[in-house]
Amino acid sequence: MARPDRAALRRAAVLIGLYILSVTVALVLSAMLIAITGGPWRGVLNALLDGAIRKPGRWGDTLAEATPLLIVALGAIVSARAGLVNIGQEGQLAVGAAAATYVATHNSGAIAVVGALLAGFVGGAIWAGIAALLKYWRKVPEVITTLLLVFIASQGTGYLLTRTFLLLDDDPNKPNRVQTSAQLDTSTRIGYIRIFGNEFPWSVVAALALALAVSVVLHRTTWGFRLTVLGRNARTAQRIGVPVVIAGATALALSGAFAGLAGAVMLTAGTANYRFTPGFANNVGWEGLLVALVARNRPLACIPIAIIFGALRTGSGFLAATGVERSIVDVVRSLLVLALLVPPAVAMMRSRRVAPPPAAAAHNEPVVAVVTA
Amino acid sequence: MSHPDDALQGADATASAPAVRLSSITKRYGPVTACADVDLELIAGEIHGVLGENGAGKSTLMKILIGLVQPDDGTITIAGSDTVIHDPQTAADLGVGMVHQHLSLVESLTVWENVLLGDHRRFDRRAARDQVAATAEHYGLDIDPDAHVSDLSAGLRQRVELIKCLRRDPRILILDEPTSVLTPAESEQLFATLRDVVAREQRAVALVSHKLAEVLHATDTVTIMRQGRVVEQARTVGTTASSLARAMVGRDVSLRTSAAALGATDELTNAPVAVTRSFDDRPEVLRIDSACLVRGGVTVLHDLSIRVRAGEIVGVAGVEGNGQRELGDVMSSLVTLDDGTVTVGGTAVRTGRAGAMARAGVAVIPEDRHDSGCVLTMSVADNLLLDRIDSVARGGLISRAEQRRVATDLMREFDVQGAGPDSLFGSLSGGNQQRVVLAREMSSSPKVLVAAQPTRGLDVGAIEYMSSRLRAAAESGIAVLLISTELEEILDLSDRIVVLSRGRVMGELLRSEATSERLGLLLGGIAAEPNPTGGSHGSS
Repeated sequence: MARPDRAALRRAAVLIGLYILSVTVALVLSAMLIAITGGPWRGVLNALLDGAIRKPGRWGDTLAEATPLLIVALGAIVSARAGLVNIGQEGQLAVGAAAATYVATHNSGAIAVVGALLAGFVGGAIWAGIAALLKYWRKVPEVITTLLLVFIASQGTGYLLTRTFLLLDDDPNKPNRVQTSAQLDTSTRIGYIRIFGNEFPWSVVAALALALAVSVVLHRTTWGFRLTVLGRNARTAQRIGVPVVIAGATALALSGAFAGLAGAVMLTAGTANYRFTPGFANNVGWEGLLVALVARNRPLACIPIAIIFGALRTGSGFLAATGVERSIVDVVRSLLVLALLVPPAVAMMRSRRVAPPPAAAAHNEPVVAVVTA
Repeated sequence: MSHPDDALQGADATASAPAVRLSSITKRYGPVTACADVDLELIAGEIHGVLGENGAGKSTLMKILIGLVQPDDGTITIAGSDTVIHDPQTAADLGVGMVHQHLSLVESLTVWENVLLGDHRRFDRRAARDQVAATAEHYGLDIDPDAHVSDLSAGLRQRVELIKCLRRDPRILILDEPTSVLTPAESEQLFATLRDVVAREQRAVALVSHKLAEVLHATDTVTIMRQGRVVEQARTVGTTASSLARAMVGRDVSLRTSAAALGATDELTNAPVAVTRSFDDRPEVLRIDSACLVRGGVTVLHDLSIRVRAGEIVGVAGVEGNGQRELGDVMSSLVTLDDGTVTVGGTAVRTGRAGAMARAGVAVIPEDRHDSGCVLTMSVADNLLLDRIDSVARGGLISRAEQRRVATDLMREFDVQGAGPDSLFGSLSGGNQQRVVLAREMSSSPKVLVAAQPTRGLDVGAIEYMSSRLRAAAESGIAVLLISTELEEILDLSDRIVVLSRGRVMGELLRSEATSERLGLLLGGIAAEPNPTGGSHGSS
């Protein structure tokens, strides 16, 4: 479309500079924190890089970690496109994973894998569907309901793990009565691709295809077009015949479905040793939301961002192995996530502060009057 | 009336020391020069009209004087000494006060609270209230200081703004398009007050307007601006409506169009009307029957019935806020009627159902196109095909090439300039945005066209274009419902006029029966007499 003018180039340069600055600051703060708590502070960056890509077999793990993040982020983009803010992915993911666990532990074979993924998709959709129902029936803002449903999901799925007829593992040889589901049978696991001494599940490839599909659907189809109109001007949408309730509810349910699917993928790809446990979601829902935020709601931009966030997860796991305390590792990871969030936020604020284009300023007097009054 | 002569003499006596002198003021926004080398003097005891089309630079000039905008060049001299006005507070300290076009009152507060809003000093409630009442009385601005602003009409709200401004005792008073929300009678009252203020207290008043009639009636001197420059400065007594119109537009304009665009109601009502066409033999395309709508406990549409026949333009006149917006919303499928029906081409249409009106053949040019007529952050091509993106898609997949081709054709046909199909809609100027909306709505081959405030905020050229398009639409057999608060526009275009007040139809007139006086009474909420042959009204 438009040629990259000088202003755009300058904005890009500023953004890159901000990234370098903020990541450096985060790393320095991390090193200081580790030093204060008596850990091996010199090797922070090295340990992170070793864990994420450099050591043998690590980038395969990073891709596997990035996959659910990417799927969650794609779902967040679908609802954002319709102007809805879904922040309950953490709960939708847990519900989806629980539903997938039920299907996967009660069936076997390839059909069970498909069934589990489908169950995850539907479970997440239902959980987000509750928020959609409350929004369009009772006008409760979806930001609040999706968030609060996270806590209900966490308690609810915890309860499922206390009854053997639901999800609790009834293996009599189990050492204690901890809340875990049975481990998935090897026939109900997603297969792995082995390449260059790394291995990662097929779901990585599927997620990349999904990102492409979401991008095409949102930008190139009539459905995506109507959803965009709805998100950017709901009254115009109503006027031209976009069914606001149906389209909005579909978008919200779909974004929950993606989170639930991510949960099912985590389960069947063995992210948590093929078992469902109370802490199963492990912040993937929240971080997936952040991926969408950093990618400014562009599906394809989510791919590299999700990989970076995945690398932070694997890298910080490795950092813990070098003798840094687990809680400190969590702080380090949070600092780096923050470092990734600050530059796009600053860029957004700068672009808002820039004056409107001169044509609008000169010809659109009422607008200017409102601004200055 | 001898006051113009008096004013002339007064001006001569005080000409040596104008209250304000703006010299060589220049202000640029990027490549656009809003004000170019403008000189202006406001003299104590005079009302100075600043006349110009939208975008001529009047508002920018006044914002410079009030400190909202800093000039790139030029000097401001107040009471003989050069000054720099950094912000509205500095302006207030120098005795410059402004009544803005858009009222800025807090609805939930009372009149006197609104007047005192923004004061920094501590005050005693009772004394403050009494002081506001005293100010109002002093200027003959009859108002209850304890009334809540939300209960007041637009005219009274304007009065509150004026009191708010006068209480600070400004030597220089600026009014920016003060009559845009007033009925003719309210406008007349406002000008009477202004003349009084000027004559008794020797204040200098600048009246910014694009309406010829009020400048002719109310001002002593007039400055006409065009494209950021002063094109003429003259004593008002030496000018005529047509000389002002010519100076303002920069060319001769037909009296009817210029009168409609520039606000000379009298010229329109007195101009001979073409033979009234009869539409009795044409089919009724739009029927609104007994429409009722209650919003937040307030009845905003009350038993409203309007019919429009094919080829007819029915003007819905009324002071802003009397149900026009809601009527537009009903026709845009944005609200559901509590009672009543809407029938288009003989088929009842369910109100409030997404897209139902559009599918039934109702095209809408909305009152606020940013609200329901477009998506600012999508491209021009997207906006042109908003409601029929399917026509350029195959199997749900949009063909961008096809979309661009259709959009380019529409842009050419409707003369959308200064942008390509991929430009962001929001980057277009107001006139071009309106053309995009018009292009989309007209190309859907509608049965009914609802045009709500179609020329608001447009300049004369764009108004001419829009008016001719509306006429052409009617001639092609479309039933046109024109909703407007501009009487001139209604008088210029309509075959029949329906006057709306508080959500009711107060009266219905054929264009040939419409006079300013009758319309004025109806606008003020005084119902048409059952038998409109008698000259006197309200006597029975």
